[in-house]
Amino acid sequence: MKNALTISGLTKTYQDFILDHVSFAVPSGSIVGLIGENGAGKSTTINAALGLIQRDGGQVSILGKEEIDGDIKEQIGVVFDGSNYPEILSPRKLNRVMKNMYHLWEEQTYFQLLKRFSLPFDKQIKQFSKGMKMKLAISVAFSHQSNLLILDEATSGLDPIVRDDILDMLLEFVEKEERSVLVSSHITSDLEKIADYIVFLHKGKVVFSKPKDELIEQYGMIKCGAAQFGTFDQSDIVAYRKMEYEWQVLVSNREKMQKKYPKAMIVPVTMDEIMLLYVKGEKR
Amino acid sequence: MKGVLIKDFYIAKSNIVVTVVSLIVLGFGLSFLLEISALLILAPVASTTAVFISITSDAASKWNKNVITMPVSRSQIIGEKFVFYILLAVLGIIIALVPCMVFAFLGMDITFYSLCLYGSIGISATLLAGGMSLPCAYLFDPEKSQIVFMMSFMASTGVIAGLILFINIWVPVKENILLAFNLVLIISVIWFFLSYKIAVKIYQKQDIT
Repeated sequence: MKNALTISGLTKTYQDFILDHVSFAVPSGSIVGLIGENGAGKSTTINAALGLIQRDGGQVSILGKEEIDGDIKEQIGVVFDGSNYPEILSPRKLNRVMKNMYHLWEEQTYFQLLKRFSLPFDKQIKQFSKGMKMKLAISVAFSHQSNLLILDEATSGLDPIVRDDILDMLLEFVEKEERSVLVSSHITSDLEKIADYIVFLHKGKVVFSKPKDELIEQYGMIKCGAAQFGTFDQSDIVAYRKMEYEWQVLVSNREKMQKKYPKAMIVPVTMDEIMLLYVKGEKR
Repeated sequence: MKGVLIKDFYIAKSNIVVTVVSLIVLGFGLSFLLEISALLILAPVASTTAVFISITSDAASKWNKNVITMPVSRSQIIGEKFVFYILLAVLGIIIALVPCMVFAFLGMDITFYSLCLYGSIGISATLLAGGMSLPCAYLFDPEKSQIVFMMSFMASTGVIAGLILFINIWVPVKENILLAFNLVLIISVIWFFLSYKIAVKIYQKQDIT
């Protein structure tokens, strides 16, 4: 399987933050969710991959090329948190701008999407709500034959209905095999719905990069008391957290653990819980 | 680059309209007080203020972050601002010529010499000021760059005066006024081009977040 985006050893050093040798890939035809708490390095990774910030080390390959030239940019649709278009423009004026920006601009697709989202053609962007601005940015990203969509916290701050619409559009987008999506979000429930792979960033490092199904179907959480916790094999514990009345233990193979510890109560785990246990818990 | 230029014209449209109307009104008003062709000094300077409106708007909407992901290079983004600046200066000159032509048609004594002299001073001041302020717009935040922008026009008059005094060492300016100001114009063009190169160099290495 070819990769639409390959990031290897990406490093960026700031005074108070280091993006530390981040490596992962976005396989063609898949949706990859980049998760992590605020300040984990999700936006820095995306900015460095897109060439917005200078990287201190590492390689980035987009659609098979290491040099992000105009031809590659034609095929990338990027949506940031906020529309990032001059607020004085209207969607119709923005169409004229984009028509002269992208060789492969599809005016018809753009206006169809505006209609689908019920966005007015001639209203200034400054009069749009946050949801409308997001829909406009997505309409632009979908209207120039993109093969790789990169969304940086694009769904945060939107109501569940709009978010659901956008997630459905992303699923429709990857129906064509050559198309891929990298979506960063801290709303893990969105990614549980659409992502094929999950990359978890914490303090500038990749904690794991795994297929989502493996995480959801295989990972589990043991809820137990202190005495039972003491009986567990250290190597079976991915992370654990001592709560007020119980111990929460993250394990990477629910079924195997259930066989090994038949008395333990092992429950399926959500992405949020995995993230919490990794970030707030301790590791063995 | 065309798309970015269209975007800037949309942003600056209302400002351009106000400038056009103001210059024409000012031109007709000034004709009773001083030589109408002197408007050519003010017009290109006044009309280029729209560039800084577009730079401020870009910063406010975080357009700079967005446009980098589009099929335009960093040097094209900078080049567009310099081209936009020149286009506005030329527009200012054309607008200033309107009242000049009207009064010439009505029989007022407007010489080609005075048009060339004042036009040369106006364009020199504009290019010198733009050469100072445009790279600063990418070095500092928008508020600071607006201060630099205002100061650059004052500085450009000082630079012109300095250059004239410098030229006077070799060429007696009083007898060759037009030649002296044309030399200043050539220096201003070179400065503006060098400034573009500097701005591109600054922007190439800059982190856009």
